[in-house]
Amino acid sequence: MKSARLWSYLIFLTGVMYFIIPLIGMFEFSLRKRRGEYSFDAYTSVLTDAQFQQTFLYSLLMALVAIVFGILLVVPTAYWVRLRLPKMRPVVEFVTLLPLVIPPVVIAFGYIRLFNTSSVLPFLGSQFGTDVLLSCGYVVLALPYMYRAVDTGLRAIDILTLTEAAQGLGANWPAIIFRVIFPNVLVAVLSGAFLTFAIVIGEYVISALLDRPAFGPYLVWIGSNKAYEPSALAVMTFAVTWGCMALIQVVTRFSKHTRTSI
Amino acid sequence: MAYLDLLHLEKSFGPNHVVKDFNLRIEQGEFVSLLGPSGCGKTTVLRMVAGFETPNTGKILISGTDMVGSRPNQRNIGMVFQSYALFPNLTVAQNVGFGLSVAGKKRSQIAERVAEMLDLIGLADLGARFPFQLSGGQQQRVALARALAVRPKVLLLDEPLSALDAKIRLTLRREIRAIQQRLGITTIFVTHDQEEALSISDRVVVMNNGLADQIGTPFEIYNHPTTRFVAEFVGTLNTFEVTVTDPDVGAVMLGTTPLVLNRTIAAQKGAKVTLAMRPEAASLGRFGNMTLIGRIADVQFLGSIIRIRADIGAHQLTLDTFNRSDMPPPAIGSETPISLPTSSLVVLVK
Ligand SMILES: Nc1ncnc2c1ncn2[C@@H]1O[C@H](COP(=O)(O)OP(=O)(O)O)[C@@H](O)[C@H]1O
Ligand SMILES: [Mg+2]
Repeated sequence: MKSARLWSYLIFLTGVMYFIIPLIGMFEFSLRKRRGEYSFDAYTSVLTDAQFQQTFLYSLLMALVAIVFGILLVVPTAYWVRLRLPKMRPVVEFVTLLPLVIPPVVIAFGYIRLFNTSSVLPFLGSQFGTDVLLSCGYVVLALPYMYRAVDTGLRAIDILTLTEAAQGLGANWPAIIFRVIFPNVLVAVLSGAFLTFAIVIGEYVISALLDRPAFGPYLVWIGSNKAYEPSALAVMTFAVTWGCMALIQVVTRFSKHTRTSI
Repeated sequence: MAYLDLLHLEKSFGPNHVVKDFNLRIEQGEFVSLLGPSGCGKTTVLRMVAGFETPNTGKILISGTDMVGSRPNQRNIGMVFQSYALFPNLTVAQNVGFGLSVAGKKRSQIAERVAEMLDLIGLADLGARFPFQLSGGQQQRVALARALAVRPKVLLLDEPLSALDAKIRLTLRREIRAIQQRLGITTIFVTHDQEEALSISDRVVVMNNGLADQIGTPFEIYNHPTTRFVAEFVGTLNTFEVTVTDPDVGAVMLGTTPLVLNRTIAAQKGAKVTLAMRPEAASLGRFGNMTLIGRIADVQFLGSIIRIRADIGAHQLTLDTFNRSDMPPPAIGSETPISLPTSSLVVLVK
C-alpha cells in the first residue's frame, strides 16, 4: 500500500516538474534583459509597445464578438436539440467536434476561396468584412468547448418542463430562451466564454492568413525579432489563460454556494 | 354548451393509441378529476388541453371557441406539474409574477397581484426566497400561485401531490380545493390516487386504457360503478362470480347458495355475471333480507374501522364494521351470520 502511494506521488511530481520547469526557466529568462541583475525591463518594454496594445485590444475585441456570436449560436441550438431533436444530439455533437479535427489552415483557406473579392459574397474585400469572417472563424474554433459547456449546463435543469411551464404562462420563444433557459445555464455559458477568450487571444493561423493585426501574429513577430520580450509575453499569456481558468472555478463555486445555502 | 368541452379527442403516438374517443363537458367553476392507473392517458388528455400535444382528431372548446391549433402560450390555461417546475433562477415573487411580466404588465400591478397570490397560498413572507430554499409543499403552492396569477380560464393540475409526503399531501389537497372554490376556477386534476380524486372533486372521470370508463360524482362512481374496472379501481371491492338462474327476479347462484336480488338482471338465464359489493355494505348479524353464514378468517383492527375477512363456502368476503368499544370483534374461526343488503349488491355484466 505504502509503496503504491509513494509511486503515485513520484509520478505526480514528475508530471508537475515536466510542466513547471520550462515555465520557471522561461520566467527566469524573461527577467534577464538587464545585464547582471533581474529586472522587469522586458515586461515594461512589451507593455509600453504601441503595437502590443493595439494587437491585444484588437484580439480582445474579436474575443468579445466571438463570445457573443458563439453564445447566440450555441445556447439556442443546444437547447433546441435537447428539447425537440434529442435523436440528433450525437450528430450535432459530432459536428461541433469537427474543429478539433480540421486544422485552422483549412478554415482560413476555405474562407479565402469562398469569400474573396471576386466571389458572390466578397467579405474579404473590406476590413470590416474580414473582421466579421475572423470572428466567425473564432466561433468555430471555440465551438467544441462552448457547445460542451452549454450542453452540460442544460442537462442540469429540466428544460422540457420549465419550457412548458413558461409557455403555459404565456411566454414566447425569445422570452423562454432569454428569461428562463439563458439565466439557468449562465455559469456554463461563462465557462464557455472564458475558454473562447483563451483560445482567441493566442490564435495565430487564421488571423495571420487573413492578415489581421491580432495578438497571435504579434507574438510570433516579436518572437523572431527580440530576445527577452517573447518570454515575458509568453509568461503574461499564460497568466491571462490561467486567470480565465481561475475565474471559471470561482464562478462555478459561487453559483454552487448560492444553490445550497439556506 | 358547457364551459370547457372536450369532444371526441383521439391521440396516438405511432402505433400506440393512447386516448380513445374521449368526451368530457365541464361547467364553469367545476372541479373534475381524471383518475386512472399510470399510463392510461391522463397526462396526455391534460397536455392536449394545455396545447402541448395536438389531438389527432377532436375538439377542445372553451366557451365555444376551438383551442386546437392555437399555441400553448396563447391559450391562457394554468398548469401545475408534479415536479413543481419553478424557475430556479427566480425568487418566489418573480416566479409568481412571471406570467404577468412576460405579458408586459406594469411593475406596480405585478407587485400587487403577486402579494395577493402569496397571501392566498399563505406564503406572504417568503417572496424573496429562491425555490431551492423551500420545502416541496411550499414549492408546489408557489407553482399554484404562479399558475393562478395570470387569471387563467382553466387550471390543470397533473398529479401535483404525488411528489409530496403523505401528511403534506392531505393538507395541500384541502388547500387546493379551498382555493379553487374561492376563485371559482374551472379545474382538471389528474391523479392515480382514488381517495384523492373522490375527496376533492365535483366529478370524477375514471380512465382505463385511453377510454373514459365512467364519469360521475364521487358518490355515483363509488356506489354505482358501471364497469368492473371502475368498481375494482375505486375503493376495495368484493366480487363474486354467480350464475343467473332467473333474470326477472334477480335470482342467482353463488356456488351452492341461492340469492335473490328482487330486481331484473340484464342477462340471460344461465349467464355468468359478477356481483360486486363494498366492504362497508355487509354487516355482522342478522338484518334485512339476505343472510349468509361465514367463517371468520382474519380480523384487522384499523382504529375506527375493523376489517374482517370471512369465508363463505369457497368465496371470500371482506367487510368493514365500525369499531365499538362495547362490542369486541368476532373470534377467528367462529361461524357468524353476515347480512348483505340486496340493494348494495351491484351486478356487473361487462
Ligand atoms: N410523447 C410521447 N411519445 C410517445 N408515447 C407517449 C408520449 N407521451 C405519452 N406516451 C405514452 O402514452 C401512454 C399514456 O401516457 P400518459 O398520458 O402519460 O399516462 P398517465 O398520465 O395516465 O400515466 C403511455 O403508454 C406513454 O408511454
Ligand atoms: Mg401522468
